[in-house]
Amino acid sequence: MSGSANVGVHVDHARDEDPAKLAEFEARITAGELLEPDDWMPQAYRQGMLKMAEHHANSEIIGALPEGEWITRAPSLRRKLALTAKVQDEVGHGQMLYRVSQDLGKSRDQMLRDLITGKTKYHNVFNYPAPTWGDIAMIQWLIDGAAILNQKTLADGAYGPYVRTMKRINMEEAFHFKSGEDMVLTLMSGTKTQRQMGQEAFDRWWYPALMFFGPPDKPHAEQLPPMRWRMKTVTNDDLRRRFINRFAPAAIDLGLKIHVVKKDDNGMVIEKKPDENLRLDETTGNWSFTQPDWDEFYRVIRGNGPCNAKRLALRRFSYEQGRWVRHAILRGNAGLPPAA
Amino acid sequence: MSNVREQSHPSNGDLTSPAEGDLKPYVVFTQLNRGDPHMYAGCVDAADEQMALQFAREHYGQDQKCVNIWVVPKEAVTATNYDTDLIWRHTDQTYRLARGYSKPVKDKWRKLRRAEDLKEYEKDDLKETF
Amino acid sequence: MITLPDNLKRPFADHLLAVADDKLMLGHRNSDWTGLAPILEEDIAFSSLAQDEMAHAQALYQLIAGLIGTSADALAFGRESEAFRCAAIVEAPDEFDWATAICRQFYCDHFDRLRLRRLARSSYKPLADLANRLAAEEQIHVEHVDSWIQRLGRGTDESRQRMQRSLDALAAIAPSLFEPIEHEHELVAADVYPRAEKDMFETWRNELEQIANDSSLKLDLHPPSPQAIGGRRGKHTEHLAPLLEEMCEVYRLEPNAAW
Repeated sequence: MSGSANVGVHVDHARDEDPAKLAEFEARITAGELLEPDDWMPQAYRQGMLKMAEHHANSEIIGALPEGEWITRAPSLRRKLALTAKVQDEVGHGQMLYRVSQDLGKSRDQMLRDLITGKTKYHNVFNYPAPTWGDIAMIQWLIDGAAILNQKTLADGAYGPYVRTMKRINMEEAFHFKSGEDMVLTLMSGTKTQRQMGQEAFDRWWYPALMFFGPPDKPHAEQLPPMRWRMKTVTNDDLRRRFINRFAPAAIDLGLKIHVVKKDDNGMVIEKKPDENLRLDETTGNWSFTQPDWDEFYRVIRGNGPCNAKRLALRRFSYEQGRWVRHAILRGNAGLPPAA
Repeated sequence: MSNVREQSHPSNGDLTSPAEGDLKPYVVFTQLNRGDPHMYAGCVDAADEQMALQFAREHYGQDQKCVNIWVVPKEAVTATNYDTDLIWRHTDQTYRLARGYSKPVKDKWRKLRRAEDLKEYEKDDLKETF
Repeated sequence: MITLPDNLKRPFADHLLAVADDKLMLGHRNSDWTGLAPILEEDIAFSSLAQDEMAHAQALYQLIAGLIGTSADALAFGRESEAFRCAAIVEAPDEFDWATAICRQFYCDHFDRLRLRRLARSSYKPLADLANRLAAEEQIHVEHVDSWIQRLGRGTDESRQRMQRSLDALAAIAPSLFEPIEHEHELVAADVYPRAEKDMFETWRNELEQIANDSSLKLDLHPPSPQAIGGRRGKHTEHLAPLLEEMCEVYRLEPNAAW
């Protein structure tokens, strides 16, 4: 699944910068220009972009794990092929985003190491479990749907290499989302077992999808550096509103019930009741809803989610396991023999 | 899921192996149809050109039909600087462009030729350059 | 030939199942690597190869399904293990050891290229056409895996040792690919499963040896014993049953449903 950057980019913009250059920089941002790596930019901007691209890359690499678990269990040849291709795309997105980050000055090897040792973060949404095939369908519909909403707005950003990567990624996300829709529609128009599988997975993923866009915005988010410098272009709450307005009515039409849920430590639903706040406000055209449990959000971010340890452990295993291969390629005599 | 994915592995503490650094970056250009120009597609990290080509084929050659790929070491690309290297001149350049002439030429012809003759004559103009 | 005599359909299907089942199992094992390979770029490339194997299996199952009246998915997910015709080597797990995965691929891809080129001469045109297309893709696989054998064989002492160990470990089961399938002579006589141009085992061993020699690796391969009964006749290693249990877990929840 895709997890685009909803990292709270803390940008310390008050640092010593040449005021004339800073003004020129901000004028270019306001004029809608795209910035390139060699352009002058405030240190805080360069560091912020690196942090954002690295976080996004980490998220793609970790995001390949929950769905990767289901490649070997996909229930038809077409689904098996599609899921493999989708997880492969995520690795590809990670590769491209690490490249953006490498060009900002950090080595990929170091980024992978920092990810594994917990020095850097990845998107919270990957710390939830995917215990059934229904989860794979819901992830591809809801989470990829959320990622597309977010990434479309990130493609309007100001940092050229990131913007170009976002556009390429979004092309592939379109396939992920469509195939997700196909899976959800198939499940929800299937047998009783299938519909129940769909509903239970929906209950697990609806709130992670709402939390996907990050916590409620700080006051005057538009004026703070991340938005003023077009590192992101739409507030978290606005993205969440767009998401609900699109997906709540679609879910209802699919025959899904939208529940407020309580989960155990393993991320499994132990209590649910219909979201009584869920309704369309005819005057604004917006759906109202019960806010996610933000305490849970912060608990998971701090590393105490159902799957944090499992994800990092597998990533570490892959890194350690592949060490001798990279070592042979980097340091050994790994050139090909001359063609016969 | 496969056993290894399910197993728990030791997961805490620093990595035992030292940081190795990265492979070399290569810029990838793809051609979508024979005869089309090759276009910038992205980058791959690889040990050498052959490995870069192998990686580029699978990474950038599978999203859409693709018939040819170039890879170039990133360090082989030398670029101008946006801030200091002026490329397109500031002064009026219309003297060296077709569109610098289209209106005056039309006006002058109109004085000499009938509209339908001129229209017939203009059919062979390279209008896309105006 | 466009239509097949009725008495050849079942043995012909069995022969094609061997090809398709090999590819499905290999693709299944390799696709599990997606997200976990040693280098991100190779992760992407290896996943493409895995997808090719599964797509090849799908195309072959479709052909077989047309012959015996079933569906590709039912062939892939709806059979018991005795009905599979895959060889021992594609059933072997790799435990995410890159040397094992690459060496398994090395043995299988070279074999598959030879087998597909052979099938491309089939008098049964639908198969000949399909095998021709698949052989072109198999060529990409062979080049890819050969370069990994060469790079890691020549890389460091450690990488060479690891590769040698995996080559040796798999050498015992790699010849399982050559186990004969029942009723081959009838199919060969009708030229629907064409005779190999040369001794296929020797050709295969020579191809592999050449690459191994270029890679500071040694190869020790012996033709399978004619008495040994294995996967081609439905007698599988202990690895197939758990593989199928996992692969069919969701499908079996509702075998008649669309997924």
